[in-house]
Amino acid sequence: MRLTISLTLVLLLALTACHPNPQSNRTQLTLAVVSGVEGEALKQAAHDYEAQRKYIHIEIAELPYTNLFEKELIDLKSRTGAYDLIMLDDPWFPRFASEQLLTELTPLIKRRWPLDPGEDFLDYPMALCRHPYQTGALYALPYVGNSQLFFYRKDLFEKHSLKAPKTWNDVLTAAKTIYEKESTGANGGRIYGYVMRAQQGNAAVADFMPIFWAFGGEMFDANGKPTVNSPEGIAALQFMIELGKYSPPGYVSFNASDVGAHLLQGTAAMSINWPAWISSFSDPMKSKVIGKMEFTTLPSAKRFGAAEIGNWLIAIPRDSRNAEPAIEFLLWATSASEMKRSAQRGNPPTRRSLFLDPELIAQNPAYPAQLRSLESSRPRPRTPYWNEIENAFGIFLSKANSGDLSPAEAMNQANAEIEKILQRAK
Amino acid sequence: MPKSRRFFSAQNRREWLLPALFIAPALAVLLSLSIYPLIYSITISLQQETSSGAVWSLGNFTRLVSDNFFLTAMVHTFVYAVAALSCEFLLGLGLALLLNSRIRGRGLFRASLLVPMMLPSVVVGVVWRLMLNPDFGAINGTLRRFGLNTESLTWTASPKLAMLSVIAVDVWQWTPFVFLVLLAGLQAIPEEPYEAALIDGSSSWQTFWHVTLPLLKPSILIVLLLRTMDLLRVFDQIFILTEGGPGFATETISLYIYRTAFRFFDFGYAAAMSFVLLALTNVISAIYIKFLQAKETV
Repeated sequence: MRLTISLTLVLLLALTACHPNPQSNRTQLTLAVVSGVEGEALKQAAHDYEAQRKYIHIEIAELPYTNLFEKELIDLKSRTGAYDLIMLDDPWFPRFASEQLLTELTPLIKRRWPLDPGEDFLDYPMALCRHPYQTGALYALPYVGNSQLFFYRKDLFEKHSLKAPKTWNDVLTAAKTIYEKESTGANGGRIYGYVMRAQQGNAAVADFMPIFWAFGGEMFDANGKPTVNSPEGIAALQFMIELGKYSPPGYVSFNASDVGAHLLQGTAAMSINWPAWISSFSDPMKSKVIGKMEFTTLPSAKRFGAAEIGNWLIAIPRDSRNAEPAIEFLLWATSASEMKRSAQRGNPPTRRSLFLDPELIAQNPAYPAQLRSLESSRPRPRTPYWNEIENAFGIFLSKANSGDLSPAEAMNQANAEIEKILQRAK
Repeated sequence: MPKSRRFFSAQNRREWLLPALFIAPALAVLLSLSIYPLIYSITISLQQETSSGAVWSLGNFTRLVSDNFFLTAMVHTFVYAVAALSCEFLLGLGLALLLNSRIRGRGLFRASLLVPMMLPSVVVGVVWRLMLNPDFGAINGTLRRFGLNTESLTWTASPKLAMLSVIAVDVWQWTPFVFLVLLAGLQAIPEEPYEAALIDGSSSWQTFWHVTLPLLKPSILIVLLLRTMDLLRVFDQIFILTEGGPGFATETISLYIYRTAFRFFDFGYAAAMSFVLLALTNVISAIYIKFLQAKETV
């Protein structure tokens, strides 16, 4: 009896294993996306695509920002071919491209490009997708056109008759005035003149770079030697610390969410931030400052203000077994009409025509400022060792802001540490 | 022993077959999940990536000596471990002695003391991060209510207070564990030695020093060993509370190993650091065992 039952079970198992899978004749594409608003739009695009083309099935692997990089790099380096399309934050791109983990897109695109003129893509986002930067072959297409903006409270600027923040000196004067005059707010607390994030790593570096560049600083000279401890660099850090005096206490451990909270609660008047935050300011559930926030390009100093660019790119891994259907999807998702839908879902586009689209401007009044910011933006230095360099640089920026080191000491030590990283890489 | 029971005999083989069969799955799991990765990580720690592929070298280990980040992280780890362990042990022992005596409501005390230990470290980290927030947090809010100026009390954002904050959180979470083990140890001590001490006219301090403490030694050994190993590899709470900041103020060795492996993708160097940590943990454990066992036999 027992034997019969086990035999039947084994037979059943064998039968189900042999039964043809109804989906097996559909091509499967596997997509690695970041969780959050940037990835959400691409996920929805994938669902639309699947609904339109019945012969494609898209599998989505959604990962939080901090894990996405390690997951993608491990999978691509072990050449599993697990992913057909991956979302990349642009500072990761040099690492992937220099290790030859991505498919060169030009040959694949050439046959299809006339359908969709590439000139519409903005120059700087497109330059990020080339290896070497700007001049090399194309390994990705830009999907989300983020670049930093300067946020400020226009009601407070009008109240204290301050001029719009065109230079970093304007910013410092305004920060000081607001800090002193708004010392007792509605709930007894003060309004801080400025809020920044100086948590070691990505946060501190992202908030420092626009000041550093405006003051005339450069991370590397023409020979690739680090030069963060130049007089300009030290002056920029000195300025950052000065601005910190009018920031909420504890800003040394702030990250994006802390900065966002202070701005939304109306307890800080100015900040550098990313476009993804703009929509929150008109949400009555989150914002106490509806209609009071203005968005503009970054202030200047010695040099014209430049924002840090932070685009999300989409690439095809070299070991993808479905490069042809993958490029079809990629070109579809980055086409003007599809990118417009992504923009309506909250992602800044990377195409000029969309930034000028009246319908989108009506929905996103900051688009003209975002376009100006993107067109004058700068990328983080293009090196495969950016994660390591950013980590070391961020530690010393954070230490200087917490008063552990003087600006000169911090920059000298950062320079030495960055040099060590580059030496090792050789 | 009869000849037929020699190892290779047929009967012996039959006797061995069944146990071997039972052990095999465990052995296979151990081999594939522990032994193989261990050997693999030893090999990668002894290799370095160059433009012409990986080459054998001791470079990862020599780099440790000149790596300021590694050395500072090591110091932080030891400061953290020593400070947290001392507080946890003294508090845990005190609590255990207190609740071993018959005071009213000790059942309630015991139960409530166990709550922190049952929470996942990540939850503890998030809760404390919110409580330690300088502007909106419960701690500064309470202090302000008592009229204190909390302007400079930025806790996890201050280079001076950050280490203290992360240590305090660990003490809060893990003192109950120390207490629990020591209490169990105390309750296992029989009445007779105490009666003898009483007859001999020893003071309560002498009783504690010469009776309680020596008899509690096995429990002390266990608790110190477990806590030391845990403290040396601490990761989750600190990662949530400060991410090693501000600057580098609370970066411990585990955080630095994680960053090296998964942010910088230098697995060889991360493996080398892990082996140094492993060796140190082993040495410290051996010292504990030797010290506490040797005294017991005297």
